[in-house]
Amino acid sequence: MENAAYVGLSRQMTLRRELDVVANNIANADTTGFKVEQLLLGAEVGERARNAFVRPGVSFVLDNGVGRDYGQAALEQTNRNLDFAIEGEGAFFKLNDGAGEAYTRDGAFTLDPEGRLMTEGGAAVQGDAGDIILDRSLGEPAVAADGTISQNGEPVGRLSVVRFDVLAALEKGGDGLYHNASNAVAIEANDAQVRQGMLEGSNVNPILEITNLIEIQRAYESVTRMIENANDLSRRSVERLGRVG
Amino acid sequence: MRALRTAASGMAAQQLNVEVISNNIANMNTVGFKRQRAEFQDLLYQNVERMGAQSSAQGTVVPTGIQIGAGVKAGSVYRITDQGSPTQTGGRYDLAIDGRGYFQILLPSGETAFTRAGNFSVNGEGQLVTDDGYAVQPNISIPQDAVDVTISKSGQVQVTTAGETEPSVVGQLELASFFNEAGLEAIGDNLLMETAASGAANVGTPGEVGFGQLLHGYTEASNVDAVSEISALIIAQRAYEMNSKVITTADQMLSVSAQVKS
Repeated sequence: MENAAYVGLSRQMTLRRELDVVANNIANADTTGFKVEQLLLGAEVGERARNAFVRPGVSFVLDNGVGRDYGQAALEQTNRNLDFAIEGEGAFFKLNDGAGEAYTRDGAFTLDPEGRLMTEGGAAVQGDAGDIILDRSLGEPAVAADGTISQNGEPVGRLSVVRFDVLAALEKGGDGLYHNASNAVAIEANDAQVRQGMLEGSNVNPILEITNLIEIQRAYESVTRMIENANDLSRRSVERLGRVG
Repeated sequence: MRALRTAASGMAAQQLNVEVISNNIANMNTVGFKRQRAEFQDLLYQNVERMGAQSSAQGTVVPTGIQIGAGVKAGSVYRITDQGSPTQTGGRYDLAIDGRGYFQILLPSGETAFTRAGNFSVNGEGQLVTDDGYAVQPNISIPQDAVDVTISKSGQVQVTTAGETEPSVVGQLELASFFNEAGLEAIGDNLLMETAASGAANVGTPGEVGFGQLLHGYTEASNVDAVSEISALIIAQRAYEMNSKVITTADQMLSVSAQVKS
């Protein structure tokens, strides 16, 4: 009898988690380089609580993973010459955050007092030859589409733009950073282009997220009603069957 | 429920965004003002199911894992130091910097502050000062009998006195530049202070490599663009509304659960 309640409960738990994911998407609707996420659901065939031989098993809802859409977001012009955006899906700037390599799509960089190109969070941006050091007195840095940085017409370095064959290997670390969670090796992304004076926005689609929000709420309400009904049914049967005469 | 706090972080972030935008709009006509931009970053993620974890004894692994984010935070609010357009004022001591660099100002505390606002005047002793009466460094003294003042592109201050035909040089203005201009700390009154993040000031004459030129009789307008600020304001408002919608939804879902009778 409790099967319906348990199946309903499994859906309620995933719906709450879905809401958490949607809430995070909406909170990051204005975050530089943010990639939208979605909870991936699957059916988990389980044993019934009773009557296992007579009827087939029941299917519970289970969240299998979070899918990330690495699609390109719109570029916003900032006119700041240390702001960079990548045009090209799934490509990242390579960073060194002290603990090792990290990757980001958020190209709002700055210089530290020694002239090293850094993220706002303090990770050093990596070029072909390690850290990128700029001497501002040589002139304003200009960056070409392939990442080559030049000052006064002289090339002084090149931004490393890399990608992974399997993007699922990346783990989000907060602060716009991604970490490599597998043994996959980053390869140079030759087709991706660097745009100077621009930042990539977030690829969250607000209309879609609000629709998801409504859907989650309604589904939650109807599952709750189903649990209520199942509960009602068992209560009434206990009442009726227990009546004598 | 995590969604409530996540949405609250989104609302707080958008509130900060509106504060930055409103400050930009308020300073649209401030001489030498540089617009600011709030940049956001995602907060930490909770690994509910780690990617790459073994999902069976046969060695299959979880391909994507479940990572749930905890919202958003302000990464930084930085100044965008692109050139503001020079506005002709005809002011006798007005200066605009065309290119990189800052004027150096001696504060009453003895510290040096930096500014792009070149709407200077002279005080009772003929010294070149800001609107607040702080002296421009290096000191420039304009003689009392000066008829005309000319400041060249390279910062040379020339004065023609009554009865003279040849102008005489009374001083040389210098500019300061920084590795990381965004690291300067604003202290109000159009003034900026050097910090550990900005690096030490590098002083040079206007027009040298790495320094801008001076325009006499002009001031630099703020680089705030009204159209982009207003559209940023609209986006911020909508994002705020959407986050509040998440809070309403989470609240209603909790109330639905709370009303299940036993």
